[in-house]
Amino acid sequence: MEEFLKKMAAVLEVEAVQETDVLKSFAAWDSLSVLSTIAMIDVSYGVNLHASEVQAATTIGCLWRTVEAKKRM
Amino acid sequence: MKFTFRRKRIAGILTVVPANERLFVDDMKNFNFPEARSLKLKQVMGFDKHRVVTPGVCVSDLAVAGLEHLFKNGLLDRDGFDALILVTQTPDHIMPPTSNIIQGRLNLKHDMLCLDINQGCAGFLIGLFEAFMLLKQESIRRVVLINADVLSRKTSPQDRNSFPLVGDAASITVVERDPEDSVIHASLKMDGTRNEALMIPAGGMRLPSSPETAVLEDVGDGNRRAKDHLRMDGSAVFNFVQMEVPELIQDLLATVGVPLEKVDYILSHQANRFMLEKLADKLKLPREKMPNNIVEHFGNSSGVTVPLVIAFNLAEHFRKNRSQVVLANYGVGLTWSAMLLQLGGLKFCEMIEYP
Repeated sequence: MEEFLKKMAAVLEVEAVQETDVLKSFAAWDSLSVLSTIAMIDVSYGVNLHASEVQAATTIGCLWRTVEAKKRM
Repeated sequence: MKFTFRRKRIAGILTVVPANERLFVDDMKNFNFPEARSLKLKQVMGFDKHRVVTPGVCVSDLAVAGLEHLFKNGLLDRDGFDALILVTQTPDHIMPPTSNIIQGRLNLKHDMLCLDINQGCAGFLIGLFEAFMLLKQESIRRVVLINADVLSRKTSPQDRNSFPLVGDAASITVVERDPEDSVIHASLKMDGTRNEALMIPAGGMRLPSSPETAVLEDVGDGNRRAKDHLRMDGSAVFNFVQMEVPELIQDLLATVGVPLEKVDYILSHQANRFMLEKLADKLKLPREKMPNNIVEHFGNSSGVTVPLVIAFNLAEHFRKNRSQVVLANYGVGLTWSAMLLQLGGLKFCEMIEYP
């Protein structure tokens, strides 16, 4: 989770993010960062998410749980 | 599905790009989007310059200019080929086939098979498949494969998903029998259930073009386009490429028994820099073995990008040497395909500008 937060901070172009942060509250959260997120998750965790799955997550914690659930599948 | 072709080769490649160049920083002025985010898009996707035709220029114009260049410079005999394949999704007219228009404009002989194929980003390999199969006929000595599109004319300048990405171009590839006992291996898959990921909704019989289909609509994210325009579900296409293409290439190499290290280059469709870097990483291929600089210099010209990546980066190499390469392209349909072959010793491999 620590590592995931660091990677999400890089995608969102901020110093640090928290599990409870709402994705849509970030200025950099747009279709391009959705794509960067998909690529980052694929490379780092071997999970291929669809844009709709990424966009369905409200917070960064939600998104992490989506990744975890897919990792177990 | 797998294909094998024996004793066939690519003899020469010419690409034709419009002289007219657009800059991404000018495109940005049409977007309803913060400048900082547009610049981020530029940096990640590799948007910089793209070549687009001036108003009124059609596929046959680019193709005729290319063929005339080959005839004039003694690189191809005007009676030296018996089939002319054109792969395009932006024909001059719905009918007749644009390949016939090209034949007519150049006054080519009547003993000639002209064939239009409706294919997009995977159109180079689809065209090669057809060319190789036609060469099984004794009466066909040589095939001219033309890939050409003017998709900028079907793209909304207010759609940042597509417009900055798209380039116009044509390529002419001469395909003939190989005197050596060579084998080309290829793999192809298609999935028509995902046909809406890349489409131009209006202009066919299902939804004819009308004043209504020309109206620019807000499609979210500040983008505006009409039903007459190209519509691309960018993230679905990205997912598709990451999921399907590495596996297709790995499976082809495994079937033939060639390890990735023995492949000198993977010459891929130029979707955008981001997608190509991710594709190389996923294949664990050093990025320099998969050149990805076509979008930044010319834009993505659909089925022409594989010939363009060859002619722009490796023209001299492929005139003088032979290398084991994988060609890979993927897109509309959905279609994805890869081909393993010895490429090189080309009679010509160059780029010209139109006009």
